[in-house]
Amino acid sequence: MYLPDFEYYAPTSLWEACGLLAQFGPRVKVIAGGTDVLPKMKQDILAPEVLVSLKNLSQLTDIFYKKGKGMVIGARATHNNLVNSPALQEKYLSICEAAHHMANNQIRNTGTVGGNIVNAVPSADLPPILIALGAVVKLFGTDGERTVLLEEFFTGPGKTVLKQNEILTEIVIPDQSFTGSTYIKFGLRRSGALAVVGVAVAVSMQGDICKEARIVLGAVAPVPMRAKKAEELLKGKAVTQELLEEIGVCAAGESKPISDIRGSAEYRKDMVRVFTKRALSKAIKEGHC
Amino acid sequence: MEEKTRTSYTEYKPEEISEFKIKDEKYSVIGKSVPKMDGRVKVTGQAKYTGDLKFPNMLVGKILHSPYAHAKILSIDTSAAEKLPGVKAVITHKDVPSLKYGISPARWDENIFCIDKVRYVGDKVAAVAAIDEDTVYKALKLIKVEYEELPAVFDPIEAMKEGAPQVHDEYPGNINTEIHQNFGDVEQAFKDAYYVRTDRFVGNRTYHAPIEPHSAISIWEDGKLTVYCSTQSPHYFQYYIAREFGMKMGDVRVLKTFVGGGFGGKLEPTALEFAGAVLARMTGRPVKMFYDRAEMFTHNRGRHKVVMEITTGVDKNGKILGVHANFVQDGGAYTSLGIATAYYAGAMLTLTYDFVNYKFDMTRVYTNLPACGAQRGHGAPQPRYAFECHLDHVAEHLGIDPIELRLRNARRPNTITPNEFGVQSCEMKACLEKAREISGWQDKKGKLPKGRGIGIATGSFVTGAGYPIYRTDLPHASAMIKVHEDGTAATLYTGATDIGQGSDTILCQMAAEAMGFTYDNMKIVTADTETTPHDFGAYASRQTLMSGSAVKQAGEEVKAQVLEMASVLMEVDVDNLDCRDAVVYCKSNPEIRKTFGEVARTFFVKRGPLVGRGVYAPPKLGGKFKGAPVGTSPAYSFAAQISEVEIDEETGEINVKEVWDVHDCGMVINPALLHAQVHGALYMGMGETVWEEVVFDNKGKLLNGNLGEYRMPTSLDMPKIVSELVESSEPAGPWGVKEVGEGATIPTMGCFSNAIYDAMGVRVSSLPLSYEKVWRALKEKREKEGIQK
Ligand SMILES: Cc1cc2nc3c(=O)[nH]c(=O)nc-3n(C[C@H](O)[C@H](O)[C@H](O)COP(=O)(O)OP(=O)(O)OC[C@H]3O[C@@H](n4cnc5c(N)ncnc54)[C@H](O)[C@@H]3O)c2cc1C
Repeated sequence: MYLPDFEYYAPTSLWEACGLLAQFGPRVKVIAGGTDVLPKMKQDILAPEVLVSLKNLSQLTDIFYKKGKGMVIGARATHNNLVNSPALQEKYLSICEAAHHMANNQIRNTGTVGGNIVNAVPSADLPPILIALGAVVKLFGTDGERTVLLEEFFTGPGKTVLKQNEILTEIVIPDQSFTGSTYIKFGLRRSGALAVVGVAVAVSMQGDICKEARIVLGAVAPVPMRAKKAEELLKGKAVTQELLEEIGVCAAGESKPISDIRGSAEYRKDMVRVFTKRALSKAIKEGHC
Repeated sequence: MEEKTRTSYTEYKPEEISEFKIKDEKYSVIGKSVPKMDGRVKVTGQAKYTGDLKFPNMLVGKILHSPYAHAKILSIDTSAAEKLPGVKAVITHKDVPSLKYGISPARWDENIFCIDKVRYVGDKVAAVAAIDEDTVYKALKLIKVEYEELPAVFDPIEAMKEGAPQVHDEYPGNINTEIHQNFGDVEQAFKDAYYVRTDRFVGNRTYHAPIEPHSAISIWEDGKLTVYCSTQSPHYFQYYIAREFGMKMGDVRVLKTFVGGGFGGKLEPTALEFAGAVLARMTGRPVKMFYDRAEMFTHNRGRHKVVMEITTGVDKNGKILGVHANFVQDGGAYTSLGIATAYYAGAMLTLTYDFVNYKFDMTRVYTNLPACGAQRGHGAPQPRYAFECHLDHVAEHLGIDPIELRLRNARRPNTITPNEFGVQSCEMKACLEKAREISGWQDKKGKLPKGRGIGIATGSFVTGAGYPIYRTDLPHASAMIKVHEDGTAATLYTGATDIGQGSDTILCQMAAEAMGFTYDNMKIVTADTETTPHDFGAYASRQTLMSGSAVKQAGEEVKAQVLEMASVLMEVDVDNLDCRDAVVYCKSNPEIRKTFGEVARTFFVKRGPLVGRGVYAPPKLGGKFKGAPVGTSPAYSFAAQISEVEIDEETGEINVKEVWDVHDCGMVINPALLHAQVHGALYMGMGETVWEEVVFDNKGKLLNGNLGEYRMPTSLDMPKIVSELVESSEPAGPWGVKEVGEGATIPTMGCFSNAIYDAMGVRVSSLPLSYEKVWRALKEKREKEGIQK
C-alpha cells in the first residue's frame, strides 16, 4: 500500500488541462477527489505516470439552475456539495438524498460527481438517479465540446465514451414533467457500503394514473440500465400495490446481475423486484423530484 | 465573591487542612467514573503510537509475503533488491534462526521466514530494510522467488480426509490438536433423559480489526535489543524474542507505546519483531516495521471457523442432565495461540448452567489459510452461540419459556463445574431475572408483531487465566509504587498493559484507594520490561483482578509506611491513624491531621525512597486431567443479554432495536469504563453475528482485507444499549472485583441469533446471519409452507 511515483499537474484552465491530457496520452489520468484513483494506485491496479488534477478549476464545482437550460451540476462538485446545495434541495431533493447515502462523510467531502460517473462502476450511486432524470453530460476536449445523454455514456464496467483528451465538465438536468423521483440504495450496512442493488425511478402522475415512468437499475448489469419493459408496463395505468408487484417482477426479469462478494445474482434479482416496487411507491407518495 | 467548593486536599494550604472534609463514603477513589488517564492526550493527538515514533537514522522495513496458498520455494534471488540504491539489508530464512515458535513446545510450528515451503497466501518469505518506505516497496518487487505450486486445502473437514494436501509433514492428517474430555457419564445421562436433541452450527472466521495497525521498532545497542511495539504483553514478547535469538531476557527490552486496540491480535510477537530485530542488527540502525490494513488481515490470528455439533439431554422440566460438544476448528496454517482456543472452546461451556455430565471432543485442523488465534472471548463465543441457540430449541420442544429454562439450570454461587472450575461469586440467576425485567420480556416474547423478535443468551468468562501463558513459575502480576520526594505525587510502575481498555486508569484508582491518596496526583509508568515489574499483560481479562491485587498490595505497603511515619511525627498510636484523600488523620479525633505530602516528604528526608511493592499469584486451581488448566481462574463473570430485532422479510435486512446487558462483574472500579467495555463488546459481537466474515477465493486469496468489504458495524448501525449490573462481590478479587472485557462478547452471538430466530420462525445455523442468508431461509420457509398448503 504505497503510492508509486508520478508527475503532477494542477492546470488553471480547461484548455491547459486538455492539452496535458493530449500531450501525455495513455500515460495520464485525471484526478478529481482521488477517492478512487489513489486507492487503485496504492493497490497496483492503476499506474499512471502523470496525474492532472482538476482542483484549480473551481468553476467546475458550481451547482445552479439556469432558466431554459436546466439544473447545472459542475463535475467537480463533491457529494457533500450535492447534499448541501439549496438549488438541488429545492428542485431535485432525490439527488441530495442519493448523495447523502454514499460512502461516509469523509469520502463525501472529497469524492466528486464527475469521478463517480467517469469511474463507470456498475454499483455507483449517482448515475441511476441522474439517468432517471434525463441528465446529459458535457465533455470538453482539445477537439471541442460535445454533449452526451448520460444514459448513453457508459459502455461497460469502467468503460465510457469519454475520449482520452476529454474532461467531463458538467451534468445538466433538463426541465421535466416528472412529478416524483427517488433513488434507493440497498447496501449491507448503514454507512460505508457499496450498493448490492440501486434503483432510481422517476414518475409522472396524474391522479393515480402514471403517465410516464423511468426505472434505472444500478449494480445489476455491466452499466446502469433502464428497465424499459417495466416502464412500459406502468405507463398509463392506475397504480395499485398489485401492479407495483408485477412491475417489480418485470424489472427483476430484465436485470442481468452477477454474483460477487456482496451478493449472489439470485439475491440481487429479487432485490430489484423489492426495491423497484418500493422506489415507485416512495416517489409516488412523496411527490417531489 | 462566590465560594468555590474545594474537592481535593491540594486546594488547601497545609495550615488549612483541618477544613478539608474527609468523605464519609465507603471508598474515596474506586467505584467512581474518574476521567481516563490518557483521554486528553489521545483526543488532542499528543499520544504517540509506535508508528508515530522516529529515531535518528531509522530505516523502514517490510516483509515479502507469499502469493500462493501452498507452494515449494525453489529459489529466492535477492540480488536485484540489494542493488537498489537506498536498500540496506535484504534477509531470508538463511539470515535468521531456524528455531520454530508458537504457544507451546509440542506446537512450535512457525518459522520467522518459510524455509522449504509457504503455507498460506501471506506467509513470510523475506524482508527488506531501506532508507524510506518508497524504496522498501520498490525493493520488495525486485525480490525474485521461484515457487512450485502445491495442491492446497481450505476447509477443515476436507483437510481431515485421506489424501488431502498436508500442510505440515509433522502433523499427519492435518491434525493440529485433538481433545477428548469426558466428565461424569454422558451416555447414561442421555439414556435417562426425557428429551435428547442434537443441533449443528457453524461459526465464522472473523478478524479483530483494531484501529491501529501492528508496528515494531527494533534498536540494537551494545548487544542489547530494544523493541517498541504495539503489544498486549511486553513480557510475552520479551520471552519469545529472547528465546528465538538465544539471548538472556535481560538483554531484551520491550516497551509498549500507546496501543490502538488489540482484542487478542497483538498478544504474540510477529515477524515484525523477529525480522525487525535481525534487520536492525545487520544494519546497526533502528528499523521500523509495520503492517498495512491488508497485511493485518493476512497475518490474522483472529477467530477460528468452528463446526459445532452439540447434544443435550434434559428431563421433563428442562433440567440439563448431560451435554456433548463435538467441534472441529479451522486453525489455518499455524498454531499461533490456537491450542488454547481449542481447549477454551469446550472448557467454558460448563459455566453458566449447572450440570454434571459433560463430554467435549475437539479437533483443530490445519488448512492453507491464515492462522487463527485468540480473539475477544478466546474460543468461547461461538460454542456459546451454538449452545444458547440449541437450548432455545430444547425450550421450544418442551414448551418452556427460554428464560425459565435458563433459570432452572442457572449456576449458583460456590459450586464446581464438571470440569473442576471452582466458582465463588455467581449471580447468574439475578442477571437473568433483571434482564427479563428491564427488557419487558414478558410483554414481548411471543407477542411481538410479525418480523420482530426477542432473544436471550448467557455468558461467563475467566477473570484471568489460572496458569501463565507459557510454562513458568513467575507470579502473574506485580507492581511498585514510588511516592515522589516532595510527597505531591505518586507513580505506579507495573507491567500491566493498557491497550485502550483503561487499565491505567483503574489501576491508578486502586493504587490511590489503597494508599489513601488521590487519583488526580497519580502518575503511571507501564508495560516496559526494564523499568516496570513483571506482569503478563492484557489477555484473558486478567488485569483488574490480578494486576489490581498486586497494585492494592503495593498501595497498602505505602500506606503502612506513611502511617508509621505519621505516628512518630504526630505522636499518635499507629492503630489510631488512617489516611484518605491524602490526609492522615487520627481516627479517634479526625481534627488531628497532617497532609500525606508532608508525611511522605519527611519519610524521604529521614529514611529514603518511599516505595511499596505488591505481587499476585493465583492459588493452585483446577483438576488433574489433560487440559485441566485451561479455563481455570480465580473468578468468573456472569452475564445475561437480551436483544430485540426487526427483520425486513423481503430483503433479510436486520435492524437491531435494542439490547439489554446485565452483568455480574463484582465490585466496579470505574462504572463509565465498565459500561464502555460492554458497549464495545456488544459492538464486536453484533458485527460478528450479522456482518463480519473474512472471505477467501478458491485459491486461498483474501477477498475482503479492508474495512470497506469486511463490514464492521458503523455508529449508524448501533442500537440503543442498556447496560446494567447486579449486586455482587468476589472473594478472590481485590475489593471484590471481576472481569468484564471479554465476558460481554460471549452471549452476544447467541442472543442475536435467538432474537432473529424468534422473528423469522426458522433458524439460520451458520454465522454470520447475513441479510442474504436470512432472505434465503425465509424464502425457503415460504416455499415449504406453500407446498404444505
Ligand atoms: C471508502 C469509500 C467508500 C465509497 N463509497 C461509495 C459509495 O457508497 N457509492 C459510490 O458510488 N461510490 C463510492 N466510492 C467510490 C468513489 O468514492 C466515488 O465513485 C467517487 O465519486 C469518485 O470521485 P473522485 O472525485 O474521488 O474520483 P477520482 O478518484 O478522482 O477519479 C475517478 C475516475 O474518474 C476520472 N475523472 C474524475 N473526474 C473526472 C472528470 N471531471 N473528467 C474526466 N475524468 C474524470 C479519473 O480519471 C478516474 O478515472 C467509495 C470510495 C471509497 C474509498
